[in-house]
Amino acid sequence: MQPKLAAKARCTDREVGKISKVIVDPLSLEISHVVVRALKGQGVDRQVPIEQIQTVVSEEEIVLRCSSEEFDRFPQLERDQYVTIHDVEIAHLEDHLHVVPGEVLVPLPRLEQGVPRRTFFTNMTHAIGMLIALPLAYPVLKFLMKPMYKPFDNAWFSVGNVKKIKKENIGYQFKFSRGFKEAFMPEQQIEKNIWVVKATPEVQKAVYGGKDSKFFGDKGDLLHVNKANSPYIGFSGKCPHLGCGYKWRRTKNFPDGVFLCPCHLSFYDEAGQVIDGPAPRALDVLPMQVDAAGEIKIIDVEYKAGVKKQIRLL
Amino acid sequence: MSNIKLGLLIFWPTFWTGFPIKLVFVLLLLAAHMPPWEGTGFYLLLLISLPVDIWALGLCARTVMIERLKVDPQPGFGLNLWIRWAVFSAVVLPVIQIIVSEVTGVAKSVTSSIVHSFKEGLYPALGVAEQITLELVMWGSVSTLVLILCTLSWWYGLGWLTQPFVRNARPLKGTVEDQANFLDALRIPKDQPLLLTAFTGAGVVLVFVFWTLLPSTTPHPHEEYEFISEGQKEEKVEPKKVLKEAEKVLAKAELVVKKLEEEKSGPGGEAEKPKATNDAPTQSEKKPETK
Amino acid sequence: MQEETPPVNQPNPFEKVIEFVDERVGLKTIQAKMLNEPVPGGSRWAYAFGSVLLFIFILQVVTGILLMFYYVPSTDHAYDSTQYIIHEVDYGWFLLSYHFWGSSAMVVMVFAHMSQVFLWGAYKKPRELVWLVGLALFGIVMGFGFTGYLLPWDQRAYWATVVGVEIMDKTPIIGDFLARFLKGGPTPGQMTLSRFYVIHVMVLPAALMGLAGLHIFLFRKAGPAGPFRGTPEALKAKTDYFFPRQIWKDIVAMASVFLIICSLAFIEPVVLLEQATPDPGDYHPEPEWYFLFLFQLLRLKIFGGEFGQLMGALAIPGAFMAFLAALPFIDTNPERNIFKRPVALIGWIFLMVFILVFTWSSIINREFLD
Repeated sequence: MQPKLAAKARCTDREVGKISKVIVDPLSLEISHVVVRALKGQGVDRQVPIEQIQTVVSEEEIVLRCSSEEFDRFPQLERDQYVTIHDVEIAHLEDHLHVVPGEVLVPLPRLEQGVPRRTFFTNMTHAIGMLIALPLAYPVLKFLMKPMYKPFDNAWFSVGNVKKIKKENIGYQFKFSRGFKEAFMPEQQIEKNIWVVKATPEVQKAVYGGKDSKFFGDKGDLLHVNKANSPYIGFSGKCPHLGCGYKWRRTKNFPDGVFLCPCHLSFYDEAGQVIDGPAPRALDVLPMQVDAAGEIKIIDVEYKAGVKKQIRLL
Repeated sequence: MSNIKLGLLIFWPTFWTGFPIKLVFVLLLLAAHMPPWEGTGFYLLLLISLPVDIWALGLCARTVMIERLKVDPQPGFGLNLWIRWAVFSAVVLPVIQIIVSEVTGVAKSVTSSIVHSFKEGLYPALGVAEQITLELVMWGSVSTLVLILCTLSWWYGLGWLTQPFVRNARPLKGTVEDQANFLDALRIPKDQPLLLTAFTGAGVVLVFVFWTLLPSTTPHPHEEYEFISEGQKEEKVEPKKVLKEAEKVLAKAELVVKKLEEEKSGPGGEAEKPKATNDAPTQSEKKPETK
Repeated sequence: MQEETPPVNQPNPFEKVIEFVDERVGLKTIQAKMLNEPVPGGSRWAYAFGSVLLFIFILQVVTGILLMFYYVPSTDHAYDSTQYIIHEVDYGWFLLSYHFWGSSAMVVMVFAHMSQVFLWGAYKKPRELVWLVGLALFGIVMGFGFTGYLLPWDQRAYWATVVGVEIMDKTPIIGDFLARFLKGGPTPGQMTLSRFYVIHVMVLPAALMGLAGLHIFLFRKAGPAGPFRGTPEALKAKTDYFFPRQIWKDIVAMASVFLIICSLAFIEPVVLLEQATPDPGDYHPEPEWYFLFLFQLLRLKIFGGEFGQLMGALAIPGAFMAFLAALPFIDTNPERNIFKRPVALIGWIFLMVFILVFTWSSIINREFLD
């Protein structure tokens, strides 16, 4: 038990006074001194170190080790060197300090006694609160998700004419511009490019593996078939690694040319197959038609970058 | 306790007790495109209101009697009281409505002519706003007074109908504190988990119904707004453009024929199949490009 | 204090987490002090308006933030983005209509709350500061309504704002500065929209949250005033705690208000007029419904002319607000029973009737204009 305020202080020989104050060490949160107001004379406050307390007999009485003469030699309290605990913020002090005798009580309202009443209102409050929040959950989710999954745009775009392609198995860039409308924004024109290769049968085989390549819409309807023996192959202008624009370049190792992505140095051959670099898959082949006049048309398909599988985005 | 006070004291909490519950159904009716002030919606609302009102009236009448009159009415009195109140109100309320609307009509025309002649005769400079407010205050006070009197009579009747139940009730025992506790205990259900689960379950089901009914686009679209997902824009016919396109088609057809002839003549020709069939779709597919 | 009966066996993980936090933060003490506030005379439905206001505000913040995902505060996109929300985004119409009707609900609740405090005499000593902070909150709520109204940038929004700012321009000395500050220039345009947007989504919410916190703190310091009549014995017998009793009443009131706002969203979803143009055309500018009484007042001949406008638009409303602010210092009579304060009761009734009459007049006046 900690010494209590207003307790009598008794020395070895007689009672010397009453505990008027308690001094606490702010770091250790332990009581360092008790201040005893002397009974005799003017009632001087004397600072008594806690070690001098022999026993805390009860809430009303403590016994000191010293004699009353020794008590009279304890230093007087210099009050202005101290502040009360209401003037400072010392963390967790109240948890450690129990120097007030007895308790201060407040009646518990009778209507609050008895657990069933409280729990009923508590639970009904929670139920109603949940039922207010719940109706909003689904609409809010759909509201936020609106632009996330857009239907695919399967329009055909004209990109140029094959007469530009002079040699076989060489990459030729075709630039085109297309309209782009987002939500309520006015329509913008954006510039895109693709690479077309006039492929020999070996390259055709490398790309298509002898099978026709089918393209489907988001409802599973067949959009277009790239024939396995079509000589012109169009590749999406975005590198399948992380979406950068790649180029056809002649290098020391590839004097005839190679598809090379400058961002992270992925290398692809004329069939779009990965030669070197971090690309997870071959160049994406686009649905393409070449009409009698040599006009090349493509569907502007974009696939997710950085994954092995082709996952269509746009 | 006076009849008017008794009538009002019971009516007021009864109305507000039933109110949130009926609101839930009003909202669901609205979501289902059935306005609750006309037609099917109105009758459905009346139907729902029956059990809600009977329950609310029983609960609130008992509460008022215990709290204010210190008596506890006989069990099962709620339905009896409701029947009396319902019949009485069904007769009196339409009468009040007729009285008030008649009085209002007369008052409006009388004040209108008074103010009109005042303006013409005495004070031609009377502004429109002043005129409106003056008339409104004049007929408004008359109508309000009549409405208040009618409402007070209605409450008087409700109170008067309740008095027999008060006289038949048993006096409450115990101290003020005991009585407060007794009243409080009435509000706690005996089987809490059952009530809570039933209530919450019903609520969740209704929320799901609400979600099904809630339309994802506005039920009140702006007349000039063009929806993005639908609008295939109607193309205006431009004669020059049509001619140009026709020229292109013809030119391509020529090339196709040429190539066919080449193929026929030369065996080592390009194996490229003329994609003549693509000419037709490309014309219409060119339009979506600009979307 | 008694929360739940302590578990007999091992505490479950959730209880362990609570213990962990409680040891470091004093969670249980904080919770007890915040929730176990005795309400003298018992919890009352009449006390729910303040909590309902807080609830409405929170939902306005939630719906407001959701709207910000799509709304663009520029003069060429504000209208289109709002139309997009209404017509294209799933349930956008519902959330926007909820936000719109929620703002009206907030004004109604502010009136109800202020009336309740006034009638219960809960502005008197020692609650003067609570009242003053409350008046500031009232001003902020009006500010929200005024700034938010402009954002859709349709004819109604644009012209209501123009009229409102022109009125402010009439303030002596600072009027021109104030009007230019709000408009962001001599005429309304993009600068106006940007300023109103920032004020609406940043400045006012921050101010409201700060002042609402202060308001609640001051209220707790002063303690709830309780009913204005009743014997001490009866009051003591009916005393219960803020939690769960008053909170229960609060949440039922909140649920009712929530349902009303949702219903209004269905009955009258937001429909914009045409996009704002510098020429009002056939459109008769009108402020939001809760300003209509002032709008109608200004149509009276006595408020015509420059001086009259100053009186009607600024001086009289300003004086009234100043009177409200001074009220706790003027009315020092400790009596709180409204039936024993005839001046207060009659004054309140008169004010309500006054506002009602002029609002109604304004609606009748529309027919004269068409």
